[in-house]
Amino acid sequence: MVATVVVISGESDLLDVRSALRTAAERAGLRLTATTKLVTAGSELARNILRYATGGQGTVTIEECTTRAGRGVRAVFVDQGPGIADLDEVMRDGFSSGGSLGIGLPGSRRLVDEFTIDSMPGRGTTVVISQWDR
Amino acid sequence: MAVGDEPAHFRQMIDSIVDYEVIRLDEKGVISSWHPGAQLLTQYTAEEAIGKPVTLFYTEEDIVEGKADAELRAAAETGRYGTEGWRVRKDGSQFWASVVLTPIREPGGTVTGFVKVTADLTEQREQTLALRAGQQMLDGIADYEVIRLDSDGVVRSWNPGAVKLTGYVADEVVGRHVSMFYTEEDKRGAMAEREMASAARDGSLEVEGWRIRKDGTRFWANVVLSPILDDQGEVTGFVKVARDLTERREQEQLVQRQRDEILELSTPVIQVWDKVLILPLIGTLDSVRAARLTESLLERIAADQAEVVILDVSGVPAIDSGVARHLLKTVEAARLMGTASILSGIRPEIAQSMVHLGIELGGLRSCTSLKDALQLALRLVRAGADAADLAGRHA
Amino acid sequence: MPDVVPIMRMGPDLLVTLQGDLDDRAVEQIEQEVTDQVARTSARAVLVDVSGLAVLDSFVARVLARLVSMVRLLGADATLVGISPAVAITLVELGVSLRHVNTALNAEQGMGRLRRLREGDASRWAGHDDRG
Ligand SMILES: Nc1ncnc2c1ncn2[C@@H]1O[C@H](COP(=O)(O)OP(=O)(O)OP(=O)(O)O)[C@@H](O)[C@H]1O
Ligand SMILES: [Mg+2]
Repeated sequence: MVATVVVISGESDLLDVRSALRTAAERAGLRLTATTKLVTAGSELARNILRYATGGQGTVTIEECTTRAGRGVRAVFVDQGPGIADLDEVMRDGFSSGGSLGIGLPGSRRLVDEFTIDSMPGRGTTVVISQWDR
Repeated sequence: MAVGDEPAHFRQMIDSIVDYEVIRLDEKGVISSWHPGAQLLTQYTAEEAIGKPVTLFYTEEDIVEGKADAELRAAAETGRYGTEGWRVRKDGSQFWASVVLTPIREPGGTVTGFVKVTADLTEQREQTLALRAGQQMLDGIADYEVIRLDSDGVVRSWNPGAVKLTGYVADEVVGRHVSMFYTEEDKRGAMAEREMASAARDGSLEVEGWRIRKDGTRFWANVVLSPILDDQGEVTGFVKVARDLTERREQEQLVQRQRDEILELSTPVIQVWDKVLILPLIGTLDSVRAARLTESLLERIAADQAEVVILDVSGVPAIDSGVARHLLKTVEAARLMGTASILSGIRPEIAQSMVHLGIELGGLRSCTSLKDALQLALRLVRAGADAADLAGRHA
Repeated sequence: MPDVVPIMRMGPDLLVTLQGDLDDRAVEQIEQEVTDQVARTSARAVLVDVSGLAVLDSFVARVLARLVSMVRLLGADATLVGISPAVAITLVELGVSLRHVNTALNAEQGMGRLRRLREGDASRWAGHDDRG
């Protein structure tokens, strides 16, 4: 499917990420709660790119998917930033290198049906989330 | 007649032909000229062939049936005769031959012989047969739509399964864009283009969705879309296989609806007083049910602007840590909306096991009986009402 | 970003209405404006109506919590009103509990609760105050 791609380079791009996610979720027929969770998780992940990726730059690719399991939305957050050395550490509630709450990553994982994070120190970080119509 | 009778240039031309056999027969069908192409095809040398009847290359059956004579007669009568059939080489192996017989006439019109051009079409025949078999196979899969699209999504082939599925015949469809089967909404959303792009990118795509028949009715289709690649890896089109899963979907939805109804039935939210709701929890709570419960309770809170909600767990056989965590999340969400929760009906053994599990109730109020819980709820609401009155007078 | 921060005076109280999808700067600008105005007008209470907010992610939640703390330091009370069911579930799953923030279903109820808190009858209220 044609994916919507949002390039993140500044704070105002968060609005685009959220609105693209909401549009895709509504098209896929997600319930309001599932939609709100997805948009919120997306906002957290996009904000991490702004805050931690080199130059605050990255991309978000959003696509609807239809499979046997139902309709849903998948979003892929990619940056070429410094990456994350210890994934277990950042997935724990309360860990933050930025003096913040440290709930963005673990919280996002709880908000969506599928969550995958992949990172290589020095190369960047990729997070894939999906929310299904269930 | 001898080989030497041939005009020289004709001779040369024939000698250069290796893909065909071009030989001459006399008026009775006896071989009178030979050339290298003929030898390649049949393995006979000129010495072995010249002077022999043309039946030398025929199968037993064809000889019995008198095929050769019939062919020569037909050629003499019509001026040209073409046929295809099995022919036999010197070693007994067979090839599928395309044969054209042309009569040679004297100025008076009498037939004095024939030119026979034979080509070996064994390979082409196999390809044709394979193609035909493929097509027949596709035609045979009457429950599947198996069609081909070009890279722009224009329908290029159509099969009986597609007729059965959509109601359109080939003439109505071939040459038109595949989006004609999509719903208006999907057309607006360029769904067909998205699907092709995704299949091209990922190597194939399986989707399900509504499609429209010729008569306007819709069906739930399972579609597998695979790109056709050329040698350079460029997408030149797509093969689309579709099935009608309407019935399966309806069954699944029926099951889902029944499950939802059971869920609803087993978790009624009761309004006991203005702004007071009771959620009597009954039976075992799995995570799906618990999530639904929370959602419907919170929606009801919003609709009724309920200030207090009583979670009555006296009907729950056991509260494990998962259920407890879920209850606490519900309480927290209700609190964020501005609604107080009271837990009621915690039996001693449940209280014990909760403490053992290390489940913290935090600031959540708990009452052992529903009666106590209701009294507390009413007190809270009255206090709120008083405050609201006060607020009204102040402002 | 709104040019004018949507703050309305209601007697001694302020009603702040957040609407739509706000970018981070707008949220921080509102925080600034509200604290300024509380200090300037000696408002006694602030109600922040978030029912029109499309998302309430951890950033917005954190700014709101900070706003509530500052308002309190300035001697006023603050209540968040109108958190929707979907947003409430999302905040809980995300792990933003807003434990020390007072909440109410709507502005009217919120106003009532604030008055009640002011009258020193806080202890009976819905667990907002006893979680610190
Ligand atoms: N895209 C990224 N690139 C590099 N490091 C990242 C990225 N995303 C997250 N991190 C690291 O993971 C840590 C945890 O991220 P998380 O989003 O959970 O918390 P936070 O952003 O620090 O705080 P919060 O999201 O609660 O404001 C971050 O502090 C940062 O060190
Ligand atoms: Mg973060």
